[in-house]
Amino acid sequence: MKETSPLPARAIQLGFLASLMAAWFIIGRTGAISPLFVPPMEAVWRAFIALVQTDQFWSAVATTLRTIGEAYGIAVTSGVLIGYLVTRSRFLTQVLEPIVSGFFAIPITLFFPLFILLFGIGPASKVAYGAAYGFFPIALNTIAGLAGVNRNYLNAARSMGLSSFGTFRHVLFPAAFPVILTGLRIGFFICFASVLGGETISSVSGVGRNIALAAELMEPARMYAWIVVVIATALALNTLVSMVENRMRLY
Amino acid sequence: MSLTQTEMLDGRVIARHPPKYFAHGVTAVWTRRLIVLGALVLWEIWTRLAGNSELIAPPSSIVRALFSDILSDAAIRGAIMLTLFEVVSAYALAIVVGLAMGLAIGSTNLSRRSLFPVVLLLYAIPQVILLPLFTLGFGIGPAAKIAFGFSHGVFPILVNVVAGMRNVNPLYLKAARSMGARRSDIIRNVTFPHMVASFFTGLRLSMTMTLLGVILAELYVSTAGVGYFTKLFAETFDPAPLFALIGTLAIMAIGLNEIVRAVERRFTRWKDWAP
Amino acid sequence: MNLAHPSPKAALAGSSVAISVRNVTQRYGEPGAPHTVLALDNVSLDIRRGEFLCLLGPSGCGKSTLLNIIGGLIAPTEGAVTVDDAVVEGPLPDKIAFVFQESTLFPWYNVAENFGINFKYRGVARSEWRDRTILALKSVGMAEFIDHYPGQLSVGMRQRVNLARGLSAGTEILLMDEPFAALDEQSRMVLGEDLSILLAEAGKTIIFVTHSLAEAVFLSDRIALMTARPGRIKAIIDVGEPHPRMPGFMLQPRFSELRNQCYAALHDEIRQAMVAAESWGKAEL
Repeated sequence: MKETSPLPARAIQLGFLASLMAAWFIIGRTGAISPLFVPPMEAVWRAFIALVQTDQFWSAVATTLRTIGEAYGIAVTSGVLIGYLVTRSRFLTQVLEPIVSGFFAIPITLFFPLFILLFGIGPASKVAYGAAYGFFPIALNTIAGLAGVNRNYLNAARSMGLSSFGTFRHVLFPAAFPVILTGLRIGFFICFASVLGGETISSVSGVGRNIALAAELMEPARMYAWIVVVIATALALNTLVSMVENRMRLY
Repeated sequence: MSLTQTEMLDGRVIARHPPKYFAHGVTAVWTRRLIVLGALVLWEIWTRLAGNSELIAPPSSIVRALFSDILSDAAIRGAIMLTLFEVVSAYALAIVVGLAMGLAIGSTNLSRRSLFPVVLLLYAIPQVILLPLFTLGFGIGPAAKIAFGFSHGVFPILVNVVAGMRNVNPLYLKAARSMGARRSDIIRNVTFPHMVASFFTGLRLSMTMTLLGVILAELYVSTAGVGYFTKLFAETFDPAPLFALIGTLAIMAIGLNEIVRAVERRFTRWKDWAP
Repeated sequence: MNLAHPSPKAALAGSSVAISVRNVTQRYGEPGAPHTVLALDNVSLDIRRGEFLCLLGPSGCGKSTLLNIIGGLIAPTEGAVTVDDAVVEGPLPDKIAFVFQESTLFPWYNVAENFGINFKYRGVARSEWRDRTILALKSVGMAEFIDHYPGQLSVGMRQRVNLARGLSAGTEILLMDEPFAALDEQSRMVLGEDLSILLAEAGKTIIFVTHSLAEAVFLSDRIALMTARPGRIKAIIDVGEPHPRMPGFMLQPRFSELRNQCYAALHDEIRQAMVAAESWGKAEL
């Protein structure tokens, strides 16, 4: 197989990006699509510059980040803990794991109004919603990781005389770690998206709220500016996570 | 360890079919049912005794509300059916477009290597922030919801079709070539069926995502449809019908999922037997 | 060749019995339930100190189960195993070491750390770890890989390190469960020779589970032939060739004789096991 150079692919990607920008520019000039839906590029740029200088921007970002952080923290703690406890007995795993995975099969988004009912429309409901949503992949992956450890490793550990803590530290945890880490990664992006979603749908503060507000107030340029911020953050996070994963030793 | 019933017959050992329910497995199933039942009972007792009637309703009230408030109200029934219609439309659209685009992108090495990373990048964006934009563009009627559901559901299909065209086990390709197959034969008899299997696997995830998109859109547009009613019940602190409505939508979601799963199973049975 | 009784030579030799398996029966399934599996049926066996005994039998005959019971990883449904006249009730890390079929080197630790874990819980002083590791690795020719990770080694190399780890524990008894199963035949032959040389020097008591007739004859002092499920000792064959075994042993007529003896005794059992496996397979479809 001859080595194919990445150049043609890169060229097409850049061309794609360039044509998108060009199209946007042309639409802005000619007004072919309603400026309410696609505002001109310069308007978005100006709105963006104005936005990042306001206090409102930074406080909204802070609110959202804090909400995501709290939701994720709760999801990780409860997910890993419960995942660990469930796998202590094979019977318990057999009984409980299908309940958890069955519940996850229902779109948790449906329950969002319940969170609003219980916690109001402030950040608390988004923390609860994000935590509840993110809990599942973390718990399920923790269960899968710990329960799926190759029996031979456990037998070897027993034959060497490892205590139960020793077995956890030297066998269970390292063996399960890659799977658990995947769960943590998925859980993070679910917390991220669900908090933003919750804020967009029903909230008083935060990034999502601002996007919805900009739409309500018919300020598309500002809305696009916000969207660009979020997209850039999401892509940056994604790239960061991929790089870290590639760097980590895979066994 | 596969567990079978063995029998001594004339001193020789023969084995029978594996039993359908092994004792341990049966205990687990019943314990699970007991736990779920127990949880419902506890829920009922706790809310009746100590719960805040404005926040949580006991299961019995929910069931009653289901019949008295939800299923009997034509407007709510209509909203639920509309949601179902939106999901099915968005799903159908996602399948058609996803399949077409997937085949196009996966058809040549160059198109795949250049465009697939773009698709994956788009997949990583939390689409929910585009929801207000969708309503600006499509209005607040079913169109926006179908569009939003579509934009969620198209990705799993697209990704799976492209991946399915790529990841054929090289041994199968070798076997085909050794039998004298030409490139077009290989595409027809090896790559395509493999892609079809991948496509069916993507159908299920696509249904989940489409549901997600439609529900998000419905909840956001709270001036009509199920979003209106959920907002209404939440704001008037009327938990029983809210739970009932959400429960109905959940059952609809599970039902749709099961249908897709059955279709997937029917068409990918060979995978269970494949090495 | 005696059926199901230890060889008379052993009784006469007067050497002490290291491991005694007495009436071990292993049943799976809840008592009283309609579906149970009898894995081992009333197995009794004496293993002499310093001998190399092979458990040879068809798939599913329970040889691995028996090994795990001897090593204290599983408790038998009936019967008991005694090691040095003490009943086995759990793993005995200071007396018994295992070498499993797949390499059970922990992939998240490098070779040195793997040996370290083995030493730590058997109470070996930390100061001795590095030296004993290097010594053990030298005996299998893997000393230069001491800081490598198992993932960086080939299957054969991993198994050699796995073997060395088992040997390095310094236990009197070594239980080996098809350690060469994952290797190709040529590697098996070469490693078999190495193993024979190693063990001749070490003087350990070894129970070795295998499918391979040639391997059993080449390596062991005695071969315990097992029936298809439920597993019983069908016969015990005395090999009677001094250690270390030379590669030339395989060319001698006696080798083929013994091998044919084993095959003749096991032939029906193997067929039975295949038929049983087929009917399980069919039922699952």
